[in-house]
Amino acid sequence: MTKEELIAHITENFSGTLEIIETNQPEPYFIVKADELRDFSRFIHDDPQLMLNFLMNLSAVDTGERFETVYNVCSYRHKHRIFFKVYLDHDQPEVDSVMKIWSAANWYEREVWELFGILVHDHPNLTRFLLPEDWDQGYPMRKDWIGRDVIPLPER
Amino acid sequence: MELAPIFTWLYNRLLTVGLGLELTDIISLAALAVIVFGFLSVMALFLVWWERKFAGHIQQRFGPMMTGWHGVLQTIADAVKLIQKEDIVPAAADRKVFFWAPVIVFVCSFAAYVVIPFGNGLIVSDLNIGILYVIAITTFTIISLLMAGWASNNKYALLGGMRSAAQAVSYEVPMVLAVLGVVLVTGSMSMNDIVKGQSAWGGFHWNIVFQPLGFLIYIIAATAESNRTPFDIPEAEQELVAGYNVEYSGMKFAMFFLAEFVNMFTLSAVATTLFLGGWNGPLLPSWVWFLIKTLGMVLVFMMFRWTYPRLRVDQLMEFAWKALVPLAFVNLIYVGIMARWVNW
Amino acid sequence: MAKTRDLYTEELVLNMGPHHPSTHGVCRLILKMDGEVITDCIPVVGYLHRAIEKIVENRTYAQCIPIMDRFEYVTAMMCDWAFCLATEKLTKLEIPERAEYLRVIMGELNRIASHLLCIGVTALDLGALTPFLYTFRERELILDLFEMTCGQRLTYNYIRIGGVARDIPPEFIPKCREFLNIINPKIDDYEKILTENPIWIARNKGVGIIPEQMVYDYAISGPSARASGVNYDIRKHDTYSIYDRFDFDIPVFFGCDSYDRYRARLAEMRQAARIIGQALDQMPEGEVRVKVTAAFKTEPGEVYSRIENSRGEMGIHLISDGSKKPFRMRARGGSYNHLMAVPEIVKGLKIADLVAVFASLDIIMPEIDR
Repeated sequence: MTKEELIAHITENFSGTLEIIETNQPEPYFIVKADELRDFSRFIHDDPQLMLNFLMNLSAVDTGERFETVYNVCSYRHKHRIFFKVYLDHDQPEVDSVMKIWSAANWYEREVWELFGILVHDHPNLTRFLLPEDWDQGYPMRKDWIGRDVIPLPER
Repeated sequence: MELAPIFTWLYNRLLTVGLGLELTDIISLAALAVIVFGFLSVMALFLVWWERKFAGHIQQRFGPMMTGWHGVLQTIADAVKLIQKEDIVPAAADRKVFFWAPVIVFVCSFAAYVVIPFGNGLIVSDLNIGILYVIAITTFTIISLLMAGWASNNKYALLGGMRSAAQAVSYEVPMVLAVLGVVLVTGSMSMNDIVKGQSAWGGFHWNIVFQPLGFLIYIIAATAESNRTPFDIPEAEQELVAGYNVEYSGMKFAMFFLAEFVNMFTLSAVATTLFLGGWNGPLLPSWVWFLIKTLGMVLVFMMFRWTYPRLRVDQLMEFAWKALVPLAFVNLIYVGIMARWVNW
Repeated sequence: MAKTRDLYTEELVLNMGPHHPSTHGVCRLILKMDGEVITDCIPVVGYLHRAIEKIVENRTYAQCIPIMDRFEYVTAMMCDWAFCLATEKLTKLEIPERAEYLRVIMGELNRIASHLLCIGVTALDLGALTPFLYTFRERELILDLFEMTCGQRLTYNYIRIGGVARDIPPEFIPKCREFLNIINPKIDDYEKILTENPIWIARNKGVGIIPEQMVYDYAISGPSARASGVNYDIRKHDTYSIYDRFDFDIPVFFGCDSYDRYRARLAEMRQAARIIGQALDQMPEGEVRVKVTAAFKTEPGEVYSRIENSRGEMGIHLISDGSKKPFRMRARGGSYNHLMAVPEIVKGLKIADLVAVFASLDIIMPEIDR
């Protein structure tokens, strides 16, 4: 399905509120509300015309004013993709886990928790993943994080 | 140029010194032990070098080249290096067992050479249970592998030791059955008799011509007994990080290493004696024929190691019990029928 | 498996630690075993974490490319390519034809080198010590070609934004053609040693079965997915660069086990050789790089560009705020999902099978730890 067909199909059949970001890329880009994340994921996974069953990427962004979790999903059978993201609060970022729908979300969410500090509900194993076990210096990927030993590069 | 007359002359010279028969026997046996030990040590060093060169050439590279002409002194360099290494014993290891495991392996590998016929008349002691003695002594190494695995206080070593014990015990059965075929035809277990029984046809009346299946079974079982690929699960580097000898360093490790090569030479020598006609052969002296045939068998074992992947441990056991043992029985029945009716 | 009622048995916890000959790179696996059979496997990663995503936020786009080389050093050309694709999509940069062809040639050569390494190391892990040296002999030819082009053997910094760094020297094309003549008979050699070998088949057939549903759940891609019957290749189904001009097949097997993953990689090498031959024939003359200044800025936006790496899909999600440095770059490699799926695949297998599965999935740690 092309970009317009995807946008049309999803906005017609999904009952929650969706926003669409206009990008100049050939994939549609949605913004989903945090509490509708599970329903939206379930919908795009199960719908026979969408069948978006490969979760290719799940990452987080710190834009300074808010956190966002970004999801890139792809369909093996229909060979189309969509992207969507969820806006989260800056002071207390929390998001639902989509592990029940795509098992691949397991380690992605663990990493998001560890590096950004976004709490993921219903995740069975939120433990240290990339950083050492005795890490106590905060959440490194946040924009306002300064490490103890960081020396900034001189500007070019 | 036979060597047996030289030894007989030396013995007679020793008798004329006049120390009495028992003392002369003891001294001559001690001298023989030293000679055999020396020969085997040199042979082990040679085999280590040869394996490395052979492996290198199969893999399209040269192998050791720097130490001596084409690397002949490489093994001596390695031995010197291993001797001067620190002897580390893990803190929680069982010290006595840890110490005795390599000793037992070493002693049992060498003790089998009492009955190997190196040439015409060149046998230390022609026991009339020759081949049975060899099989019994080489089975002792299983105990020492278990000791090494247990005493190292290391899970990898324990796994390696257990696997090797299971493997060695399983492959004893087809090996003994294949050997039994030869003993049946010869009518005696003495190694000299077995070799003499193959001296017809100008020295080419080899047992392999009549019992090719027995020879194959023996070769496969021997590869498993000496823990070589495709049966080298006990020392699989990539899975168990060297298995049962992971905690050994320095001279103790050297003992395991050399004992493995001496073991391989033993099994090749036994294969030569039983199936390939021993020291029989037309023009050259008998010990030269023995060396040629044994080194040829060693080459076959080396070729197995550098071409085949290794079997998983349960596939190994399955192969031994479900394939080799029935085949060995079939071979035995066939040999029995042939010996009775065709009158070999 | 019979349980012994009277015997007290304990679960063995074995640590296949970061230093181990057969975990590719530094990966720690905590195995809970019942005798030889694995009941649970917990991977502990992070030994190779270099914080690439944080570093990249402080570098200009051109300075990011050597860093992306090290994101996955076995296929460094393709990592550079993915990053340059993402940047060029954001700025709508048109790169010259010759540069596209050179990128394809280098990418496919890197794919062949990576598959040669994987097959050699798989054979080495299973005890066949010789095919390792044979595959590395061919890999040396490819690395010679790379050294001729950009001076480096492992991390190239060759594919730049706007094209490639420099044109190929005149002796590249004859040497490349010579390599293409050699590679198909050599792949036949590897088939002769391994594919029909009963021990190889016994070690690999039926081992590490990844059913199709698990491929979807864990988003496994690349040759590991194509060995399970999932026919998805980004070069054909989501085409990037100029792959639509070449004629090649996608080998798909249905056995779902290690044996078919090995065969999928062998077949892919042959197809890659085909692509390189066609690219060498079709390559035009011309410029190889669009001039890109040091003050290169992209337009604000987000893009997710993906390429077919030799391990699966390599995706770069790039967010730019219009400045000289990327705002957020997220790089995703195929081995991440494979290692995530390993605990489920390996339950009930033996340690020897774990080694075979790990090697055949071609898991490379830098992709996982970044």
